[in-house]
Order: sequence, then structure tokens, then C-alpha cells
Amino acid sequence: MKTLKILTLISILFCAHACKDFEELQLDPNRPVQAQPGLLLTAIETSVFSVIDVGSMLASRMIVFTDGAAAEQYYSWQRNSFNGYNRLRQISKMVEEAERTEQPNYVALALFLKSVAILEITKLYGYVPYSEAIQATDDIFKPAYDLQQDIYVQVLSDLEEANSTLDLDGGSIAGDVIYGGDLRKWKKLINSYTLRVLMSLSLKEGNATLNVKNRFKSIVDDPAGHPIFESNDDNAALAFVDKVNNRYPYLNNNNFKTAYYMEESFVNLLKDLEDQRLFTFADRKPDGSALPEDDFDAYGGLDGSAPLATNTNRLVDGEASRADARYYTDPVNEPSLLMSYAELEFTLAEAAARGWITSAAAEHYENGIRASMSFYNLDAAVQDDYLTHPGVVYSAADGIEMIVTQKYINFFMQGGWEPFYNHLRTGFPEFAVDGGGVLNDEQVPKRWMYPTLELQLNGENVTAAIDRQYTDDTINGVMWLLKPE
Amino acid sequence: MIKSLLKVHYSLRLPAAMLMVVLLMSGFRGLAQQTTVSGVVRDAEAPLPGVSILEKGTSQGTATDADGKFTLAVSSDAVLVFSFIGYKTQEIAVNGRTTIDLTMESDVTALSEVVVTALGVQKEVKSLGYAVQSVKGESVTKAREPNIINSLTGKVAGLQVQNQTDLFTAPEILLRGAAPLIVIDGVPSVDNDIWKINADDIESYNVLKGATASALYGSIGRNGAIMITTKRGNTFKTTVDVNSSTMFQPSFIRIPNVQTTYGNGNNGQYAYVDGSGSGTEGGGWIWGPKLDQRDASTPSGYFETTQFNSPVDPDTGELIPLPFLSRGKNNVKDFFQTGLISTNNISVAGGTDNSNFRISVSHTYQKGIVPNTQLNNTSFTVSGGYKLSKNLRADASLTYNRQYTDNFPERGYGPTNYLYNLILWTGPDVDVNDLRNYWIPGQEGLQQRHYNKSWYNNPYFQAYEYLRGYYRDNVFGQVKLDYNIAPGLDLTLRTGMNQYSLTRSYKEPKSYVAYDYISNGNYGLLNENSLNLNTDFIASYNKKLSDNIGLRVSVGGANRWRQFQSAFVKTDGLVIPGFYHLSNTQNPLQGIDRFDPTNLRDSKQEEKVNSVYGTLDLELWNSVFLGFTARNDWVSTLPVKNNSFFYPSVSLSGVISDFVDLTNLQVSFLKVRASWSRVTDGKIRALDDQLGAGYPYQHIPAYSPGVTWNNSPSLGFPSTLIDDDLKPETSDTFEAGLDARFFQGRLGIDVAVYQIHDFDNITAVPMSVSSGYESRLLNGGEFSRKGLEITLTAAPIKTNQFSWDIVVNWSKFHKYLESVYDGSDRLGFIHTGSRWDQIWGFAYSRTPGGRLILRDDGFPLNDPYTRYLGNTDPDFIFGVQNTFTYKAFSLGISVDGRIGGKMYSTTNQKMWWGGTHPGTVNQFRDDANAGLATYIADGVVVVEGDVTYDQDGKILTDTRIYAPNTTPVNYISWNINTSNAYLNHYYDQSFVKLREIVVTYNIPRQVLSKTFLTKASVSLVGRNLAVWTDLPEVDPDPGEDNLQTPSTRNMGFNLNFSF
Repeated sequence: MKTLKILTLISILFCAHACKDFEELQLDPNRPVQAQPGLLLTAIETSVFSVIDVGSMLASRMIVFTDGAAAEQYYSWQRNSFNGYNRLRQISKMVEEAERTEQPNYVALALFLKSVAILEITKLYGYVPYSEAIQATDDIFKPAYDLQQDIYVQVLSDLEEANSTLDLDGGSIAGDVIYGGDLRKWKKLINSYTLRVLMSLSLKEGNATLNVKNRFKSIVDDPAGHPIFESNDDNAALAFVDKVNNRYPYLNNNNFKTAYYMEESFVNLLKDLEDQRLFTFADRKPDGSALPEDDFDAYGGLDGSAPLATNTNRLVDGEASRADARYYTDPVNEPSLLMSYAELEFTLAEAAARGWITSAAAEHYENGIRASMSFYNLDAAVQDDYLTHPGVVYSAADGIEMIVTQKYINFFMQGGWEPFYNHLRTGFPEFAVDGGGVLNDEQVPKRWMYPTLELQLNGENVTAAIDRQYTDDTINGVMWLLKPE
Repeated sequence: MIKSLLKVHYSLRLPAAMLMVVLLMSGFRGLAQQTTVSGVVRDAEAPLPGVSILEKGTSQGTATDADGKFTLAVSSDAVLVFSFIGYKTQEIAVNGRTTIDLTMESDVTALSEVVVTALGVQKEVKSLGYAVQSVKGESVTKAREPNIINSLTGKVAGLQVQNQTDLFTAPEILLRGAAPLIVIDGVPSVDNDIWKINADDIESYNVLKGATASALYGSIGRNGAIMITTKRGNTFKTTVDVNSSTMFQPSFIRIPNVQTTYGNGNNGQYAYVDGSGSGTEGGGWIWGPKLDQRDASTPSGYFETTQFNSPVDPDTGELIPLPFLSRGKNNVKDFFQTGLISTNNISVAGGTDNSNFRISVSHTYQKGIVPNTQLNNTSFTVSGGYKLSKNLRADASLTYNRQYTDNFPERGYGPTNYLYNLILWTGPDVDVNDLRNYWIPGQEGLQQRHYNKSWYNNPYFQAYEYLRGYYRDNVFGQVKLDYNIAPGLDLTLRTGMNQYSLTRSYKEPKSYVAYDYISNGNYGLLNENSLNLNTDFIASYNKKLSDNIGLRVSVGGANRWRQFQSAFVKTDGLVIPGFYHLSNTQNPLQGIDRFDPTNLRDSKQEEKVNSVYGTLDLELWNSVFLGFTARNDWVSTLPVKNNSFFYPSVSLSGVISDFVDLTNLQVSFLKVRASWSRVTDGKIRALDDQLGAGYPYQHIPAYSPGVTWNNSPSLGFPSTLIDDDLKPETSDTFEAGLDARFFQGRLGIDVAVYQIHDFDNITAVPMSVSSGYESRLLNGGEFSRKGLEITLTAAPIKTNQFSWDIVVNWSKFHKYLESVYDGSDRLGFIHTGSRWDQIWGFAYSRTPGGRLILRDDGFPLNDPYTRYLGNTDPDFIFGVQNTFTYKAFSLGISVDGRIGGKMYSTTNQKMWWGGTHPGTVNQFRDDANAGLATYIADGVVVVEGDVTYDQDGKILTDTRIYAPNTTPVNYISWNINTSNAYLNHYYDQSFVKLREIVVTYNIPRQVLSKTFLTKASVSLVGRNLAVWTDLPEVDPDPGEDNLQTPSTRNMGFNLNFSF
């Protein structure tokens, strides 16, 4: 009996925990299986609006790297990745949750966000999957590749739909860290961005399907239905915050402290124009440290196309300026601009110069410069002065070159790969390739090779896409976007 | 004569003790006269002290004294039981005598060895149909390692232990290529903490190598098990054992050699300005000017430049140049200190025929070779058993263990690693001794003092201010009841518990340099709490059906349950420097890991497994043994519709030598065995990296936390698409083997061959991310694991004075991809039918003949395709243990190694890259310092023609024509860009190691008899004494080199005595 008592007691004690149901243990207490779309929006925004990328600065001859032969700088890059599709997954989950909770404004925003995401991918390669992409849940594991033109047509239609379906009275959105839920500003961004897309198709002026010129004009002519940016307040800006994971991406970056220096042609451009933005972009070089900060002679750079040893020799001699210390010491610094008012004005200026719209190119050009200088807190007097510099005063004969060059200056540590793509489209400004270090036969590459993983995992489709566009998958292949028609 | 060598396995004693208990219970004691018996007990050579003498059926007993004498008052018809470790137990009837002298016989019959198998069941070796190998606990207590697993290196065929050189870092353990389960006294310890078990408490290790052996543990036993049996009190005489070991780490068997010819800087130039590392400071490279260069124009007569310790000229405020000398030639050795591992254990054990107990206390202190690092490990164990009634026995054990350190080094490449700061990035112009004062005067607590404040940390600052605390309390033990219902019929109820609480603290001082930030000071705190209960209920029936047929049947049920909770919290900057408290944060506290917001550091987990199982063992003619096991599990870690599965196993063993007389062939024993089992793993392992090892909810698609942006939290959906019909992974194991002994057991060989078929593997099958997901988690992929294990034992010399024993373990193993989920012929880069351990990575282009192809500018050409670079697994591993005994002396020498396989060496690659590798000292470097490009790489350039590849990078057409490279390049640029392109830094990791030498002097009994001691020995010990390998600079033993700590030679002594 004593034995039985002991056995019973012990059995009860140790069975207590065992009797929880298996179904109950199928609920993950740490991770939700459903979400409000706003929770996804925050993560998507912080990814899509983070465009500050020193790689594009290297490729665009604004910065050089001295701790090795950077592929971006020496144009020796090969493959890139399809990581951008991860954003598209998050956007499609947001749409799913928005439809589940019946909040259509998130669906409208998703049309814009996915357009931004797919264009960033297609501009790397040419044809990429889109119409069959992000459908793994429908068992499409090897999506077919779309013609680049079809992607652009789809994007233009989605952007138009985003503008028309975003309902200013249709309920607020949560988790918006860009505009704090101001839907009108979102609408301005959608249309301003559409103008950027149309300008990026400038080589396709003759393409009837795209009808670039008229699309551009119809947006500009319809400020009520298609509002666009009106000031720097409308900038598509992700502002950094002095909190963990929210700080300026290059804060305390060691390469900015020791290995990135200003590029010589960029520094010289600013020096030639006596552009005071140089003083906010760069620090004095070591052998100019005795000169005053506003002395253009205190600044210097290294030749992005020169061999590494040449640059490191000049560097240890003290000839090169680093980027301004705020880029690696200020946790907030300046926001990341997916698109700025200044860029829009330069785009309008270029459209005017091309005769797409009727307003004055010079006016848009000056607005763009003022907006850019204001962004760097240079006051009206400095702006007025600058606009009278002979190298800055607008001349219609060199209109497009001047506009694109000013747009380029405006993109220092901003704009992602826009300055590089603008160069591919217009040839402005010229990027140095003849310093002896460039590893692509003194050419600026036009694209990236398709990802290794794609060759392995979607080999037939990517091989077909290569065959239809290029003789070979090389970085000098000319994609549809860059072929004038 | 030498007792320790004659001792047989402890478990021999347990059946004897059980038998005694049974006899005691059934014995009927009539009335008899009391008498006093005395006598002398001896063995073949001398009187034996400490022999236990028990009057059968009573609790009366005594033990022989130092001269082997005993006296005991007993009834005149008593039966006396004489027992002693290493000798056969004898029962002698008193029959009215008053004097009984006895000679004990040594028990060396290895064939009746008993090993501990699954669930703690003891079985005779000859009855086993699968491979089990035992290691005696006492064989690893003299030459101490900080944890018990390191000590098993080379001692078990098929067990690969990759010893780490870093303080408090667990070795990688692979049994037949997969991580085995650790079981303590029959209870699985799934937290895998190998630091919590004190080696002095271990009686034996039994390694169950294959799934058949461990099938009764269900899914967690899929990869075999290391069964640990702890010591129990078992003598009537209360004995005290003391074991004390002290090991020093006075020197290194492997330490990177750095060049001492060139200093900090780049392109041969260096001038310190402010420690930012920019401009004339050369970006933190060690490609600076040559040291010790004569220069008649300077005050010192040597080349001078400004340096971090330059005095400031009071007139100009400028730094005064100092001579650029090789002051830091011995930096690496100057910084490290002599390490120490000190272990002390005291245990007390005793018992009566109704009960036994053992108490053990131990402490291990390890002082790291990095200043201000250490590890403490304390254990307190109590165990005992008591007969509650005639048929019911209770046993219990409980261990409390605490591991604690206020600081142990961080590992991996980066500014958190001492080697990074010291070996890679301290130029020999800096003397590490000049860095001992690590605060800038006047900025104590705010700014560390160092020659480069962008990239590197002052190693002393790191050692004394950047502190990683670890405080872990383990409690584990079990309660067991054995109830004998009827003869042959037993019930056992056992509940085992493993609990731990862990607190880790992270103190980061202001000005601490990490890659992407310079710290404002931070304090982080991690808490974990885990409870794991395992309950088994087993009924077993033993019956001898006839003389030739024996039967044992068991049925049982089990429940395994685990609960886990963790929380991590961290400041975002400290307001008051150096005050490490969560309230001292500048910005809101963070609940997530700074570097990996998707990592669930704040986590609640609960899981359980219910099981029923049964076994059937048939014994025929005492020579043929047939065993069946069956188990069914229900798990919470898979979708409910697929959560039940069944595992059977069958094994057969036959002693051929019982049927065929092989004595003419000098065969004294020959057994063959074969087994098959199926074991299923109820848990998804494929995504462990994302959610933490053992995460029980991996089969549930759900959102993960994303960035919190300015107080807005966010979520993201993971990149793996999870199949909603996941089935458990399953392994079928077929194993066969033989066990043969020759020359009366002087030579033995045990061979095991096996093939494991892993199928329904839950695999994250990669797919085009344009589909929306990077991979699909599904049942895909079949693998096979094939291996061979051989153990050879021999006693080539055996005389009264001298003996030599050898154990050789040898094994090989490979894993192959057999098929992929959808009939595809590849998974990633690996094709079906080929080995799974292939290394694929970046390579420079080479000609089909293997020569480096250089570009027009003289630098190597990148290959745009990912290339096969070798295999990681060794071709085979081996271990050899020699034991020599001569009179009271014994000498143990162990050698082991792994042959074949490649590993990446970060140390080597970074040394070439950064300029510290001794191979960079040459004329080309002097030329580069002078601004000249003179290095012409040995290779070819393509002068005409072209090559085309298929999508895998295989050559389709090749019309290339080559010419020798003639273009000189700057040698510094060459290394900065390519880390010396000839080496891809995957190295052959083959090595042979002199693992251990132990010289022991056992103090003879004649000497001890004049003291209170019953046993005493002194040993000189050495571990990790030498390594032979082609791998430069680092120790291949860890199997990886991500800036490993230099490998120390450990030497010391051990004292062991009992009374």
C-alpha cells in the first residue's frame, strides 16, 4: 500500500506537464501569423527609401576607395543579386493583409512601392521576371522573364492606378515613417516619381506604345489630378534618428574614416564652379589643413580611374580630402532621399529642354539648384551668387548637359544609382576611364551579369533571356532601355 | 600488483551487488550462535587492504585494514561475501571457523564485460548486435581538460572531437558525422551542456555509435549517444577520494609568426597625426616603412617619424618624430600570459546492504592566456539509494553545477578578437607593453589610448574594460523507483530533470571600436531559463524458458517535455561611462540583438514528446542473441496530422567461437553482429540559424520582427516558404560488425561497417528569389552516410613486472547526396551521387593546366563562376593509446589525428592581406615601398582566343592562346587586392597530434600501510604537446580558423589518494 501511494503520487506529479494538448503547442508564442499592413509598411519603407550607397558614388566618380581595387570604381564588377525580389515579397504580403483587413489605400501604395522595386532590378540586367514573379504560393518556382518594355508599360500603368486609387478620404495609414500618413504627399511622390520614370525613358521618345512625351506632359498639365512636389517639404525622405538601427548608415564607418576619399573630377567640377556645396561635402585634405575651410584650394581628390598604388601614394602624401566628417560622425546627418524636389525640377528642366513641356527650362534649372543648395542650408545670398557664376548660368545650347550635371552634383551621397543611370542615358558628366586602373577596356559598364543563383535555379529562363538580348552575358551589353528609338 | 590497471569496469560490480541484494532479501536467517571471525585477505602477491566483507543477509560488514587483516562478529553459520574492485567476488561459508584466510582472484575476463545501453539498461557485450565502445571515467581524470568531451578525443572509433583553442568554447562533436545525444544515467540531456558534468563523478562513458543502439531514445537518438554513467557509493567502508590536478599552459604548439621588418603604414610611408588612421597614417595597414633603418640626418641615427607615443613639442604644439624601430618583436608572446587549469575534487562514498550514498564536490578554475579572463566551474553532487521495502528500491541523484566567469574572450574575425588587434593589425613598431596604460590621460573612462582609434582596440583596454560575463546554474538529477513484482518481473519509474538558468552580461566601454560603430558605452543582459523533464515507465520480464532459451521483454511509456524562456535587453548608449546598469541608458532600452533583429532572443518555447515502446531480447544457447525494439512517438514540433511515427529496430549477434573450435587458429573469441533500425527526427533542423537551435515552432509560417524605426515596430515575412505537409526526417541504419580476440585475449579487433540512409530530409531547397522566396522547406533530398570503424586492442608484452597495452581506433566516414526532391540532379552546387562536404567558392581564373591567368595589368583575373575547391571531411581519423607499466610506474602516451579534408584559415589570409605575414618580407616589398612596381606574378596572359562556358561554368569551347605574364605590379597592391592569389587559403587540415603523456607513480601498499591512506598516486601529465601538420600558423584541431587563439601546450601534475 505504501508502495502504491508513492507510485501514485510520483505519477501524478510528473504527468501534470505531460497532459497539455498537442494542438495547444502548435501556437508560436513569439511570432504572429497575421499582421496589420502598417507593420509591414514600416519595414518596406525603411528598405525602399534607403538609397544612400557609396558603391554608386564610386561608380559615379564622386568618391574613391583606397583599401583595395573596388569593383564599382574600376568597373570590374560582374554579377549582381536578385535580392530586390525580397522587397516584392514583403509588398505582396502587405497587399494580402490589406485585402484581408479591407484597407485599399495600402494596395495603392503597394502599386507604387513594387514599381520602384522592380525598376531597380530591371535596370541592373535588362529582362527580368515580373508578370510571373512572387507567385511561389501558386507553385510558380521558375518565373519566366519579361521584356523590359513590358515591365515599363506595366509600371506606368500601375503608377497611374496608384495615383487614381489612392483615396485621400479613404482612411488613414499606419506605420508610415516617410510622410506620417499624409496621403496627399504620397500622391505627389507617385506622380513625381512617374516623371522620373518617363525621363529615364528619354531614349525611347519614338516608341509609340510608351508615348513618353505625352504621358509626361499630361501629368504636368494636370496639377489637380496629378499633384507633384512643390518644395523640399515634399521630399521623399527617410529621416534618420539617433536610435539603434535608425542611424545614418555610414555613422562611424571605418572606411569613411580611413579609406574613402573624394574623387578628383568631382572636386574639380565643384572648384571650377566655385560651388560652396563642396565645403559641406568634403573636409580639407591633410596638406591643405592650414588653409581656411572656405578656401577651394584646401580640397583635393584622387583619380578614380588611376591604379590603386598611384592613389595610395598620393593619399599618404596628404593630397586627398575625405568626405565631410558628418557622414561618419553625425547619427542623424541628412535624410535618405528616394526622390527630392530638386531632382524633380531638374527633370522638368530637362523635359522643357527636350520640348516635352512648354515651361522654361532655365527656371526649373534654377529652382533645382536653389532647392539643392537649400537642402544643404546654403542661404539665398550664396544661391544668388552661385547662379551668376559663368559656369552655372543656363545656356540653352548646352542645356541638357548643364541640367544633368547639376542634377549629378545634387546626388552626392544621395539618389542611389540615379547619377550612374543618368550618365548611361545622357553621357553626362563624363566619367574618367583613362587613368590606367580601369579594368573594363576603358569603358563604363552598362549592366551587371545575371546572378549565379539564377543560372542554377532558373537556368532555362535566364539563358533564354540572355539569348534574346545579348550575344553574351557581359557587363557591356546594351539593354533595351539604352537603345534609342 | 598495479591495482589501477587490473581494475575492470565498475558496472561489473553492479550485477554482483544486485545479486547480493536479491540473496539478502530471500535469505532466511535462523537462530545461530555468534562468533568472531578474523583473517587475512591477499591477492597473488600481497595482502589487500580495503576488501569489503559482508555477512550475507545482514547489514554487518567491515573492510580489511592496511595489512589485509579483518575481524568481524558474525553468526557461526553465516556466509561471508568478499568483494573488491578488480577481483572476483567470493562467498565463503563460516561453518563455525574463527579464522578465514582468502586469496582473491583477479577478474580480467573481458568477455563478460557489461556496458550500459539505451535507457540505462546494462547488457553483456557479447549480446550486442551493434557497436558500443566504452571509456573508463578514471582514464581522463589525471590529464585534465576543461570539459569532459575534449578528453574523449581519439579514444573512440568514429567519434570526431574538434578541440577548440579558445577559452570556454565547446568542441564540435561528430559521431558518424552527426552530433550525438548526451545521456546522463539513462536520462537525455538535450541542453548539450558539456561543461556541467564533472569528470571525477563519471564512472564510465559508453558511446552508442549507431541509431540501432540509441533507437529507444526516439528522435533525439537518431545520431547515436554518449552515455555517461556516474559513480555511486558501493562499499561498506566509507571511503574518501581526493583528486587534484594542476596544469599550466607555459608555451604554444601553434602561434602565428608575424614579420618584424616593416611597421604600420601604407606604401612604405607612415606618420601619426591623431590616430584616426586616415591620410599619412596609412589606413591601418601594416605596409609601412622598413624598421631600424639608419639615417644619419636624425638625432637618433635612425629613420624617424611621428608615432602615437610621440611627445608634443611645447613650442610648436607639433608631435616630435621618434625613431622607427622594431620595438614590438615579441608583442604576441608579451601579451599572453601563462594559463592554468586547476581541478580539485573530494568525494565521500559508502553504504550498507540497504543503502548507498556518495557526495562529491569539485571545483575547476581556469585562468586564460588572455589577461583578465577566467572560467570557474563548481559542482556539488549527491547520490544514493535505499531499499524502501523488500521489493521496492529508490535511487536518486542530484547535481548542482555553476559555471561562472566575469570575462572570457570573444571569438571571430573583428575588433572583438585579441588576435585581430594583436597579430594582424599591430605593426612591430608598436611595443604592446607601451599600451598597458590604456586610457588617454585626462580622459579616463571616455577614450582609450591606441595608435589607431578607427579600426582597432588596445588589447589591454579590451581585456580589462570590455567584459563578457557568464553565470550559469545547472541542476540535474533523477529519481528512480524499481519495484520487483514477482521473480523476473520488474517495474521501473524514472524521472530525470535538467534545468538551467543562465545570465550573460555584456559590458562595452565608451570608445570601444566595433566595425560599424564606436561605442557610447553599453550594457546588455541575457537571461535564459530552461527546464527539461524526461519520465519513463518500464515494465520488464526476464525468463529463462529452458537451458537454451532466455527471454527478456520490456514495455514502456515515456514523456519528454521542455520549456524555455529567454530575454535579452540592452542599453543604447550609457549616460554615465563605466556604470553598467540598465537604468543608465541614453536612449530607450533595446529588446533585440543589435546585429540581428530577426534573432528571437526574447523567446518562449514549449514542446513535448509522448512515446510508447517495447523491446524483446531472445537468447539462444547463450550464444545467439536476437533483439527487437519498437517505439512510437507523438511530437509537438510538427503539424499534428504528421506528428506520429514508429521506429523499429532489429539486431542479431552470434558468438561463432561457441560453435566452432577456433583455438587452432589462436582465436579465443569470435562474434559477428548485424542490425537494422529506422529512426525519425520529429524536429526541423534546417532553419536553426534563423530562429535559434532547437526552435520548436519552425514548421509554422509566421512573421518575424523587423526594424523598429523611430518607435514604429515592424514585421517581415521570412524568405523560406514552408510546405504545409511536412513529414518527419527519417534515417535507416544498417550496420554489421565482428569482434574477434586472439591469443587468449591478448589481441582483439572490433570492426563495424555501416550505411545510413537519410530520407524525407526537411531541406530548405533553394529556388529563384524572383518567385518571392529564396527557398522552400520541404521533404526533399536523400543522403547516405557510409563508414567503417576499427578498434584494435593488444597487450604485446605482459610480464609480472612490465606490461604494454595498446588501443588503436581508426574510422572513416563520408556523406553523399543521393537524390533531390523533384528528380533534379543537384542541390545547390552539389550533384547527386557525389560527396556532400564539398567546398564551393570564389576563385581566380586558371588555365585548364592550373596556371594563374593574369589580366593585362598584371593582376589575376576573377573567375565569374563559383568553383569547387575541395572537401571538408577528413579521409580518416585515428587515435592510438599506449600504456606501459613497470612495477609501480605507468606511462600513457596518446597520439591521434585526422588525415585529409580542407579548412579555411582566416589567420593566414589576413596576414598576407594586412602585411604581417613573414612571407611578405622580400625585395618586391622594398621596391613597392620605394614606389616601384616590380612583382611579376607567375602565370600567363591570354594573347588571343576566347573561352565559352555553360551555365555551370564548364568550358564549352576554348581557343585561348597564352603567353607568360610579363607585367610587373606593385607588390603591396598585389597583396591588398588578392591576399597572395596563389593561395586560396583553403589548406589541407591533416594533422597528427601528441595528445597526451601521463607518467604515474602508484605508491606501493607497503608504503601506504604506514599511513592512513589506502591508495595514492602521483602523476606528471602533459596534453596537447605537439602537432605535425602542413597547415601554417594555426592548429588544425578545431577544424576551423576564424582567428583562433594560439594553441597551448598543457603540462602539470596530478595527485590522487583515498582513505
